[in-house]
Amino acid sequence: MKTVADELFKEFREHSVSEFFRKNAAMLGYTGKIRSLTTIVHEGVTNSIDASEEMGVLPKVYVAIKRVNEEPEHFRVVFEDNASGIPDQYISNVFGKMLAGTKLHRHMQQRGQQGIGVSGAVMFSQITSGKPATVTTSTGNGEVTQMDLMIDVDKNEGKIVRSEKRKGKWRGTRVELEVKDTTYMRSRYGPFNYLRMTAIANPHVHITFVEPDGKLTVFENATDKIPERPKSMPLHPWGIMSDDLLTLARHTKGRTVVSFLSTELSRVSRKKADEVCRLAGVPLNKKPLELTWEEAEHIVSAFKQVRLLAPPTSGLRPIGTADVENGLRQILNPEFVCAISRPPKVYRGGLPFLVEVGMAYGGNAGKAAEEKVENGEGEVEAGMELIRFANRAPLIFDQGGCAITYAMRNIDWRRYGVDPATAPLSLFVNISSAYVPYTSAGKQSIADEPEILNETRTAIMEAARELRKFLFRKIRLKERQDRAGVFEEYLPVIARRAASLAGLREPDIKPLLKKVAGVENAEES
Amino acid sequence: MPKKVKKERAHGGRALGKLAGMGKEIVEDIEKAQPPKLKIPSRSTSNIIYDEAHRYFVLGPRYGVRSAASMKQVKKFAQLLCTADFAKELIENGKFATLREMYYTAEGWDTGPFHGQGESDLMVEDLEATFGLKREDLGLVPEEDGAAVYGRLVVKEGDAVIDATKAGRGGYTIPPTIDDVEFLKCKAKRVIAIETMGMYHRFVQEQAWKKFDALVVGLKGQAARATRRFLRRANEELGLPVYLFTDGDPFGFHIGMVVISGSAKLAYINHELAVPDAKYIGVTASDIVNYKLPTDKLRELDIARLKQLQKDPRYNTEFWQSEIKKMLELGKKAEQQAFAKYGLAYVVKEYLPAKLKEVEGQEFLGKR
Repeated sequence: MKTVADELFKEFREHSVSEFFRKNAAMLGYTGKIRSLTTIVHEGVTNSIDASEEMGVLPKVYVAIKRVNEEPEHFRVVFEDNASGIPDQYISNVFGKMLAGTKLHRHMQQRGQQGIGVSGAVMFSQITSGKPATVTTSTGNGEVTQMDLMIDVDKNEGKIVRSEKRKGKWRGTRVELEVKDTTYMRSRYGPFNYLRMTAIANPHVHITFVEPDGKLTVFENATDKIPERPKSMPLHPWGIMSDDLLTLARHTKGRTVVSFLSTELSRVSRKKADEVCRLAGVPLNKKPLELTWEEAEHIVSAFKQVRLLAPPTSGLRPIGTADVENGLRQILNPEFVCAISRPPKVYRGGLPFLVEVGMAYGGNAGKAAEEKVENGEGEVEAGMELIRFANRAPLIFDQGGCAITYAMRNIDWRRYGVDPATAPLSLFVNISSAYVPYTSAGKQSIADEPEILNETRTAIMEAARELRKFLFRKIRLKERQDRAGVFEEYLPVIARRAASLAGLREPDIKPLLKKVAGVENAEES
Repeated sequence: MPKKVKKERAHGGRALGKLAGMGKEIVEDIEKAQPPKLKIPSRSTSNIIYDEAHRYFVLGPRYGVRSAASMKQVKKFAQLLCTADFAKELIENGKFATLREMYYTAEGWDTGPFHGQGESDLMVEDLEATFGLKREDLGLVPEEDGAAVYGRLVVKEGDAVIDATKAGRGGYTIPPTIDDVEFLKCKAKRVIAIETMGMYHRFVQEQAWKKFDALVVGLKGQAARATRRFLRRANEELGLPVYLFTDGDPFGFHIGMVVISGSAKLAYINHELAVPDAKYIGVTASDIVNYKLPTDKLRELDIARLKQLQKDPRYNTEFWQSEIKKMLELGKKAEQQAFAKYGLAYVVKEYLPAKLKEVEGQEFLGKR
């Protein structure tokens, strides 16, 4: 006999994740005609880059957006990468099943996180155009597989509509999606800016982009070095809470609290664990499973009283100051760049994060430059531009609610010689963490965790000090040049007119010019 | 366009000498690779001083140094020399240009145009102050003509000989270039300067110029530079006493006082404009009482102005202090035309003779 609960549970299962997505597309970034297209490009490109890196090849991504049947809101979006390709049996899962990725719940920093990613893009295309996604892939074994697939919304799985194989020497994956109800624009929110930002934060990535009007843009890679792969890592005591500790205690193999603490937590030796237990008044030999809430609380506060090494950064994958500078230099061609990489910090549950800040001044930096690539479309903007990243992935939307934005606004820019309304300045901020606290599943803004906010602010100010040095040098240099220019312009006039007044021959101005173009000696008596 | 004047200018030679001297010093400095400097008397209010002995405002001893080695000043330095060179050309060619014309001419200078006429006018003031010369001496003239003069005066203006009794009812118009006008003949014995043109025409109609052997000058309110220069020359060259007749209110008083003592703004050039011996004859507060003139109440503005005048060093005489005090007590003011109460001719037949008798101790009534 079935219980009520059985019935309910059955009901519950019938609402698949895909179904949920379909009803909540907006939450995942599919809101608005421009944003939807950008989100699709984001999912495709993110997938491609992660796949290439995982395989250890320099990512080469091709993105094309083509108009279908000359219809204004109907596009075919194409991604192609040079990564490992996908074995046939996984294709329908990768593109047709949500939350099926290999990334969830690993304390590892990657671009994608929830695994909704590319299957969400497939879902969106299917909903708007009714057409299947076409996936062409090869692992480089001489065989190329092409499949048309759709998502079975009820079952949350991929349904292969058509499949064929051919011979071919090629490796990689190409995905073609047909979407409707979208608009292509070169605005801050459009795919072009998304790819530009991606190129800045990922100087090892080579991106080719073809716009609907056929315009081809190549963002060349600025380095040949593939970033190191991140590693999974344990929690660090600095940010851990009682609840986390008790959860870990339930799964540990350690038999005593001391061995539990020293094996499950990062940077905790047996000696440190010992010290902490004494401070917390917890018996050293107590079984982890028998820890009480109070004892856990004591341990958490005891950890704050002992000296520990900073959390390991092995799981963190910062871009590095050199590559931040490379990226900014390559794409923005600025007069000045600087980059700051802060040491890792932790927030909340012991989760390390790391803030990197870059600044580019002059050249194509700042909002005005963005306007130039917009070809007069969109608003006329000038001044400072903030480009936000989480694990190198551009954050384009929801700027107003993001911790990075708060940090930027919290700074008195005039102190650094910057007028945010006019400065040709691009401020780059990348937050690297295994678990970035996004404000929503759309992953476009970072929650204002106090540690992250403070750390970001500190990093921006550190970079701003470098910028200030540059700006002041620039002002001084300009003053010197202006000075020389002013005298070169007016001293000859003085000589000529004075000679005319006196009826004398014009004197040679050169010795005076040489002497004066560096001296200031005017006084009011 | 600049007007051609054939006659050699009175101060032309002096101006050319000073301009050449400035040029020479600068050329020599440049040859020695020394930054040229100009000392320009400061015209800030703190450097404007009332000279008790001369009875007009003069510039104090402070001056500013404009250095060609200063980034902030080198452009102004160059502009000043361009202005000077422009003046030199004007003088040499016997031409005049208005300040406005000079402002436009500067468009073609190698220092570029001025940002406004205010800037170019300052250059002219700098030169005036530096050399102690009037702008007219530098070939530069203001836009507006001076006022009118009627009486037995014959002047030579270029080739034209003009009799100021035969220049129409309006009289002879004093040109901005008054310094180039030669006084050929003068039978007048005094000058009567009148604030309003209404009263001026009354004086002409009633033949006051004839009855009082006077040059009647209409000031048209606050006297223009050319008018003041004319009065100064009449006083200095023709030896005529100058009398001032204005409305009986603080503004009338001051129109008279500016002729006598000069203005603070033109302190650097008052020695060419002021007529310290000119006498103010009316309308005084005493006149209002003695002649029972129709009056208006003093406005707040008038009272405030009167109180200002009380403290002004130029009014620091027994006569002025008592008249100002009396007017404040009366709380009344009167216009020149108020004498019409007693008939149009009254002011010429009764008031003026009485006043002239007061200042000159002569009887005028019998003269025709």
